[in-house]
Amino acid sequence: MLIKKDEKSKNKILKISGLYITLIGILILLILASLCVGSAGYSISEIIDVLFFGKEGFAKIVIFNLRLPRIVLAILIGASLSVAGALLQAVMRNPLADPGTIGVSAGAGTAATTILLIFPNMMNSLPIFAFGGALLTCALIYFMAWKQGIDPVRIILSGVAINSVLGAYNGLLQMLHSDNLSSILAFLNGSLSGRNWGHVKLALIYAIIGLTIAFACTKSANVLQLGDEMAKSLGFKVSRHRIILSAVSAFLAAATVTVAGMIGFVGLVVPHIARMIVGSDHKVLLPTSCLIGSIVLLAADTLGRTIIPGMEIPVGIVMAVTGGPFFLYLLRRSGKKCF
Amino acid sequence: MVLNGEAVKIGYGDYIAVENIDVSVKSGEITSIIGPNGSGKSTVLKALTRLLPYKKGYISLDGDDIKKIDSTKFARKIAVLPQKHDAPPDFKVKDLVGYGRMPYQKWYKSSGDEDEKVIEWAMKTTGVYDLKDKSINGCSGGEGQRVWIATVLAQEPEILFLDEPTTYLDISYQIDTMKLVKKLNRESGIGIVMVLHDICQALEISDRIIVIKDGKLYDEGKPEEVITSKMMKEVYDIDCDIIKLENREKPVIVYKEIV
Repeated sequence: MLIKKDEKSKNKILKISGLYITLIGILILLILASLCVGSAGYSISEIIDVLFFGKEGFAKIVIFNLRLPRIVLAILIGASLSVAGALLQAVMRNPLADPGTIGVSAGAGTAATTILLIFPNMMNSLPIFAFGGALLTCALIYFMAWKQGIDPVRIILSGVAINSVLGAYNGLLQMLHSDNLSSILAFLNGSLSGRNWGHVKLALIYAIIGLTIAFACTKSANVLQLGDEMAKSLGFKVSRHRIILSAVSAFLAAATVTVAGMIGFVGLVVPHIARMIVGSDHKVLLPTSCLIGSIVLLAADTLGRTIIPGMEIPVGIVMAVTGGPFFLYLLRRSGKKCF
Repeated sequence: MVLNGEAVKIGYGDYIAVENIDVSVKSGEITSIIGPNGSGKSTVLKALTRLLPYKKGYISLDGDDIKKIDSTKFARKIAVLPQKHDAPPDFKVKDLVGYGRMPYQKWYKSSGDEDEKVIEWAMKTTGVYDLKDKSINGCSGGEGQRVWIATVLAQEPEILFLDEPTTYLDISYQIDTMKLVKKLNRESGIGIVMVLHDICQALEISDRIIVIKDGKLYDEGKPEEVITSKMMKEVYDIDCDIIKLENREKPVIVYKEIV
């Protein structure tokens, strides 16, 4: 009996490591492809020359200063948003929860645009305000939806309502500050265009902090799946863990908004794809979401900057256009399996 | 172990569901809480198990205020299977039962040898060991209920609370669950406290019955003393006869013909 059990868990570990390696392989291929394509095309050998042998010239500027930071940023943001979505879905016990749909990203965006337009001298603390905005929105959603526990439908309804109120506020800001429109639009339509290593540094710090805490919380995310009363009866401090997980999710979402604006659908679609592949155990689900999220966002950004020559489609728009229908397809295909 | 409530007032928000109730349950015996819909029986169960904070009065576990007991320590003594519980459909039976070990584990640790032993024992006792690698949604209604009971059993509680454990189950699974409850009590000495709708089942299985009506304690005591036609009339407003059969230890309830 014991041997059989060991074999089973060994098989499982092998299977999961195989999946991780495959996903990392896909990501590496995608990075190479993304370095090659664009308004100026490069071959793999040129890229290797620039990256590993320090070849100077115009190619270096394009590859090292323009494309690479953007690629790293796409990976970090994809990973952060996917984990933020997976955590929100766990904590709100709702498959439709995502920083984009329920207004958490909009909260961060609103705070950021307000600072940008009304208090431009506080630019440096933008990430803190974005985080504050996201947290505040989260708290507001709970406050509106709380009635003897969490009701998944009320969560989504109040989230959508808050999202549209924030949308209206952002619209008003745009009208009042039409002279400074481009900086607002950068927040509203998430985009990675023109991002440099400074942005990468910022995103990297936040992603490392957020993802580390998130990975440490996999057990509480799992226990929350059993329902509040069951979790409580197991001696689990439900409210405390719910607050921690929501805060981590808001933190990750706010960090992405600060560097790239609001990008929807990643946090919604990616955890679902991951769940279909590896199931609901967050110990595996979070790392898988991380990898798939990086792949998806990098693919979307690469597509956005290459599909129409000479024009850039913001990655937020690419995600909305492809993510929406793909999500519907997943819903049809999975039927009852996921919810 | 005694869980004792004195003059307890329980409610949700401004609504008061149960007022000034004295209630006490202990390990080693099977206690059933009965009463009409909305009488407050589940509310009492929730207050005793800390799922719902009470407003007034005092609930103590062996003399200690339950509000002051650390939640993991409490969960090692008192386990409760709520009416509403849920698990992602792909969770494996063995993993779900493993969550019962939560009160014994640090948050960063996974289960050790001792935990594995208890998990195996809980699955064998409830008869779900053969299902251990199955997913939850591959289990039938009766199997599912036994898996959940295995989960709370893995907490190794001294008193186990079950909120309407037989509702939604067909009669064969109901009897199955009752047999399991009796077995747990007789073999492991675990105290069982159940909210039940079926008075016949309560009569058959309980050592003690608590009757609640309109948020107040109506009566409590031995099943034969508590379940009377007078109580049935006053609490449920129905006419019935309580009949003693020769070859049965406990009497049965015969309801008046429906015309």
